[in-house]
Parts: sequence; C-alpha cells; structure tokens
Amino acid sequence: MRGLKTPLGAAAALSLAFLLFAVVLGPILWGDDAIKVDTMALAQGASAAHPMGTDGLGRDVLARTMVAARPSVGLALLATLITVAGGLLLGGLPAVLGRRAGRLLNGFIGLVVAFPGLLIALVLAVVLGSGGRPAAFAIGLAGVPAFARLTQTLAASVAGRDFVAAARVLGVGRTRMLVRHILPNIGEPLIVQATLGAGGALLAFAALSFLGLGVQAPDYDWGLLLNEGLNRVYVNPAAALAPGIAVVLAGLAFNVLGEYAAQVFGGRSPAARGAGGSARPVPGDALTVKDLRVSYGPAVPVKGVSFTVGAGERVGLVGESGSGKSLTALAASGLVEPPGVVAGSIEAGETAMVFQDPMTSLNPALRVGTQLAEVATAHERLARRAAGRRAVARLTDVHIAAAAKVARQYPHELSGGMRQRAMIAMGLMGTPRLIIADEPTTALDVTVQKQILDLLREVSDSTGAAILLISHDLAVVAQLCSRVLVMYAGVIVEDLTVERLVAGPAHPYTRALLASVPDMSADRSQPLATIPGRMPSPADPVAGCPFAPRCPRAGDRCLTAMPPFEDGVACWHPIKEVS
Amino acid sequence: MTALEFQGVRVRLGRRRHAADVVKGVDLTVPAGTVVGLVGESGCGKSTLARAAVGLVPLAAGRITPGSGVQLVFQDPYSSLDPRMTVGSAVAEAVPKGAGVDRAGEVARLLDLVGLEPGHAGRLPRHLSGGQRQRVAIARALAARPRVVIADEITSALDVSVQGMVLNLVRELQRELGLTMLFISHNLAVVRYVSDRVAVMNRGRIVESGPVDDVLSAPRDPYTRTLLESVPRLR
Repeated sequence: MRGLKTPLGAAAALSLAFLLFAVVLGPILWGDDAIKVDTMALAQGASAAHPMGTDGLGRDVLARTMVAARPSVGLALLATLITVAGGLLLGGLPAVLGRRAGRLLNGFIGLVVAFPGLLIALVLAVVLGSGGRPAAFAIGLAGVPAFARLTQTLAASVAGRDFVAAARVLGVGRTRMLVRHILPNIGEPLIVQATLGAGGALLAFAALSFLGLGVQAPDYDWGLLLNEGLNRVYVNPAAALAPGIAVVLAGLAFNVLGEYAAQVFGGRSPAARGAGGSARPVPGDALTVKDLRVSYGPAVPVKGVSFTVGAGERVGLVGESGSGKSLTALAASGLVEPPGVVAGSIEAGETAMVFQDPMTSLNPALRVGTQLAEVATAHERLARRAAGRRAVARLTDVHIAAAAKVARQYPHELSGGMRQRAMIAMGLMGTPRLIIADEPTTALDVTVQKQILDLLREVSDSTGAAILLISHDLAVVAQLCSRVLVMYAGVIVEDLTVERLVAGPAHPYTRALLASVPDMSADRSQPLATIPGRMPSPADPVAGCPFAPRCPRAGDRCLTAMPPFEDGVACWHPIKEVS
Repeated sequence: MTALEFQGVRVRLGRRRHAADVVKGVDLTVPAGTVVGLVGESGCGKSTLARAAVGLVPLAAGRITPGSGVQLVFQDPYSSLDPRMTVGSAVAEAVPKGAGVDRAGEVARLLDLVGLEPGHAGRLPRHLSGGQRQRVAIARALAARPRVVIADEITSALDVSVQGMVLNLVRELQRELGLTMLFISHNLAVVRYVSDRVAVMNRGRIVESGPVDDVLSAPRDPYTRTLLESVPRLR
C-alpha cells in the first residue's frame, strides 16, 4: 500500500495495529492477571509489579484495560453495524417506495435527525435496560437517523444522473435500481462515514458505561474501568488514566482510519509541489512561449511547445481533447496548479482569461459589478466608486444593455451569453495585451456563439489586445483568427494561416481533422472521413512522430524520429499540393 | 417499424408558481424507417420533448405514440453509463427477459454491431474512450429491441474525429435495421448529414419542418434563417 508512506497512513496503521493487538491477544495474554485477586495489594498506586496500580480487589488495572479492549471495540462495532444496517434501510427506502411514501419517509427522517443522538441513546438505554447488548442497540439506533439522512441525500444526488434515467427508460425495477445502480455509487462516502461513526460509537459507549447504563459488573469495558478509577483518582490517578488513554487511542484509530479511507476513496492525495510558470510584462510580442513542458509525474501532456503571438494578433490553438491545448493556455497564464510542473520560458504581457463555463468562473455569491470592480481595486488600488463606474463602462463596452442594472445582479440571473460578456468585460477592466479564451463559446448556442466571436474581434480591434483562442472547432477558429496552431499529443504539428487551412494544410493530421467535420456542403451519400486509432496518452513514450501510427503517409522514419518543425509544419512527408 | 407521433404535446415543468410550459403544443411525425432531425437552441424544449417520449417527464396535454418501445441515447456518455457496471452487464440488463434468450450471445452480437470487440464486455466505462462509451450507449438502446430510437445530442460531448465515427455508425445502423429515429442536435451540419427531414424548434414550438434540403436551402421562418446564418463556416 503506497498510502502507508504518508503521515496519516502511517498513523492509521500504527494505531490500528495497537487496537488489533489488544483485541486479539489482550484476553489471552492478560486474561489471568485481570481476574487474579491480590488481597495483599488492594487499591495500590503504580508500582513495578502493577504499572498502572490495582483496583479495589487488588486486580491489575493495566491487564484489565488490555482485556477490556475486546468488549469495548466489539460492542462499538456492533453498534456501528446496527447504525449502518438501519441507516441504509431507512435511507434507501424512499428510492424504492413510490413518490408519496418516499416523501413521507423523508419527512420522518428529517424529524428524528432533529433530536441529539446522545439524548436518543440515553433514553433508549433506559428503556432497553442496562447491559452491554442493550446499550449497543441504544447507541446503534441513535445513529440511524443521521446515517439514513446521509444515505438518502447521496442516493438523491445519484438518482439525478443520466445513467439512472437510462436504466428507468430500460424498465429497470426500483429495488434493482437501488441495489445495482445507486448503492455501489454512493458506497465510498458511506464507508468513510461508518468508520468515523465507529469511533463515535466507542466514545458514546464509554460514556454510557461510565454513567452506569452500559456494561454491568462483573463484566467490564473501558467506560466501567474509567468509572471505577475515577472514584479513586486522588489515590491512584493511573487507574483512571489507563482506560482513558485506551479510549482516546481507540477513538483516534477509528478516526484516522476514516480519514485515511476518505483519502483513498476520494482520491484526495496530498498535493505535490511544483514550480509554476510566471507571467511578466515584456514589450513587443503579446506572448512568447519557448519549449514549454507541463508534466504530472510520468505523464507529460505538453511536450515542448514554442510559439509567439504578436501584438494585436489573433491566433487559434486547435486540437482534440488530450492534445494539451488547454494546459498550454493555462501555463501561458501561470494557472497550472500543483502537482503539475511547468518548465520552459513564458513571456507574456498583461493577460486576461476567458473560460469555457462562465458560471463556474464567476463567483456566484458576488454581484457582477462588485466582481468586476474588484479587479481594479485590487490591481490599481482604485477607489471603490471609481472602480464601480469603470465596471459599468466596461459592461457597456461589451454591449450589455442596462449595464448599471446588470452590475447589481448576480451571475445566476444572467444568461450564458451575458455571463460570457461579463467575463470579457472583467478581462477589460485592466489594459490587457493578450486575451486567452479557452473554448469561450462551447457552452453557448450557435446564435450566441456568433455574437461572442464578433465581440472578441471588436474588442481586439479597439484595444489592440492580441487573442489566443483555444478551440476544438476549426470553423470557430477560422471565424475569428488569422493564424492557426494545430496541437496533437502535446506538440504543435502545424502553424498555418487560415487561408492555408481552407486551401489545404500540409500536415496529414490537420487534413484528416478537416475532413472528419461535416459542414453544410458535405456529401451526404458518402460516409464521413474518420481517423482510425487513438491519440497516444500523455504517459506513453513516443519515439517518432506521435501521429505516425494513425497516418496513411507514415514511413519507417516517422516511427523512429520526431520530425523537426520547419516551414510551419512538423512532418517528414508534408502534403505539398493545395486543393 | 413504427412511426413516432407527437400530437398536441404540452409539457409543464416546475411546481406551482414556478411552473412553465417548456413544450407548448408540438405536432411532429417521424415516419417509420426514417430519420427526422430536430434542431434548436438550448432551452427550446427539444430535450424535454425527448424525455417526454420515453416517459421521464409527464405530459400536460397531448399524446405520443407509441407509448412504449422507445429508447433514448443520452448526450453525455460519461454520465449515462453506470460507472460501476461493466459494459457487458449494462447491455445485458437492457435485453428483454424471456425464455430461451441467449444473453451472452445477444450482448456479443450487439457489441459487434456497434463496432466494439467482444473483449470490451468485461470492461468498466472508465477504461473506454468517449466514442467507445457512446457506442456502448447505442448498443444498450438497441438491446431493448426498440421500435423507435431518440438520439439526444449524442455527438456534442465528443471530439470531432470521434463524432465522425459515431455519425457514420448511426447512419449505417439506421439503414441496416430500418430504424425510426428522432435525431436531436443543435449542430445543423450534423443534422443535415444524418436526417431525411428536419424540424426546427424555438421556444417550445416547431416553427418549420420539411425535407432537409428544402428547409436548409430555402428557409421560410426567420428563426431558421438566423440559425443558418450563425453556423460558423470554414469556406
């Protein structure tokens, strides 16, 4: 297990090993000592023979603490089992029952969740009578409402997904839906919750036994030992300390195990450190990228990319998903997050970024105007009122009617196109020399897409800002840009003008890409041209040209040596003829 | 094969004060064995219409025939397949129950039909590419032996080179099996490529419909014209 190397994993393993040792071997190793009555050593303090002292009957406290691990942990697990079983049943039922019965049950769960768990446990313990088993039931049942609520909430979130809708269309029954489709997909957070709950149950059990409602003498668990020890805490503090430490350690073991489980299942591995590329202003070109590499451990999604975007130039960066185009754009604006590592040099003027989904890139809790003004107050220390005025002016610049009103609205009140306009206006709050737009119109409708592309062109003309447009759509790029960079598997394979793109590119990949897109004049009697095979993954080592395995023109040299980038194309056999 | 018919279909979504008519009286026929393309922008009600046809949303008025045997292929193959279910069991689940059904054989036949190898049956969706996932989704829809198939934006989550393969597959399957199909997309070029007839939807209503070439070369409705003018073109 790799996770054991992390501090959390190691702590989990260590405390769990201690707990297992006590549970499995405790009664065997110390069983005799724990019941041996020594009338010569009644209620003694710590000594060499009894490191934690003895109790009122002269029994060794350390031995009793170790032996008590088995009933304490065992009963806590029994309680957890009851919680999980009851919670799954109650929380899963609304998904199986019809709409009305489900709603009724949800209301019931909501009602019982409102009671504090420990209070329910206490009441149940009184009702069910004292003793180990009844107390386990009391604690287990007290945990059911919270677990049921979690199950139900998670199930509801999965129930909204397309694959559940697909199964419904196929006529899959409700019970099968719950068992086959819903539960497996919510299992991980539930396991984490159950593990954390086991720690809580252990503590609750100690509390109940301490109050005399749990395990009864002559049986004993940690809570009861604590109770006995506390009566004599001034005579022999060790007698109370030993079970106390055991409870804390065991509780910690469960919690750390739960945290660790959350990390393993949730994929929340601790972030590695990496150097981010910095952006600093330079005169001349708007963006110069030299030998840019972005790596995530062994995977290298961007493998040495060099290009320039001149002042005021509009350049498109196209490629399929996995080509590294978006990472190149992120690296150019210094936004690659660890564990990503950026190498190479990037020189960029003041940069504004426009993302694909303006809903996630605008803060939903702040008014549009406030967010825009923030840019000016933070960067130029502009007074708030002046910044607000500039925000409204910029919103007007991107053709938002009633800009003053929109500035007071929240992002969710705007349509997708309006949000993208606001995002562009935000970029214009400074004086950008470069606007990097990453798939700015992919989430938008065609009619709105056209407006946004027109707006970007207008902004570029009026402010002199250069544009780097990242897109998978050649036609979109051709609408706005004069030059196109084509990326494939982490490298730029072709750098050409839009005229050349239309007339006939030199790289076989660009040609194939162009042919595979149906346009409004495509011949409908013919199947679309396709590119067989798939792009090499960023982790695959590629010796020659990355496109060679899929290329009809590839020769032996293509498979062994990467072609140099010459005359705007990286290919050993470029296509010369222009259609 | 059966025709798919929408007669005066209205769909109301939301509760009480927030309720709104998303589909406002749609009459549309997909003749048996043909493909009708449905175009329109997001929010126009085209996906709601599809969901109504398979019973995922209730009708406020009108009638959709046939009432059963309609299968839907969803837009996003990353969310329409259960991440914990192998490809084989996902397809097998859709095969109608009954005596003498050779499930394993049927699954193999369907995977072959959509151009996947038999070895794919044991894999989980996360080990497949987007295009392969969409093939699985198509195989699953066909496994239910549907009378009508509705494809809702099935290529918009895919890369362009993969989109071509899926479109070719859809055309091949439609011709081989004589499927009746409603093909929904916001991409006019894609709709033009696969459909025999096209219907344009705007704000919950069908504003224009007819043979693909007629509608796209001589649009009568102003909205269709705007839509056509907005399509980015290379040439």
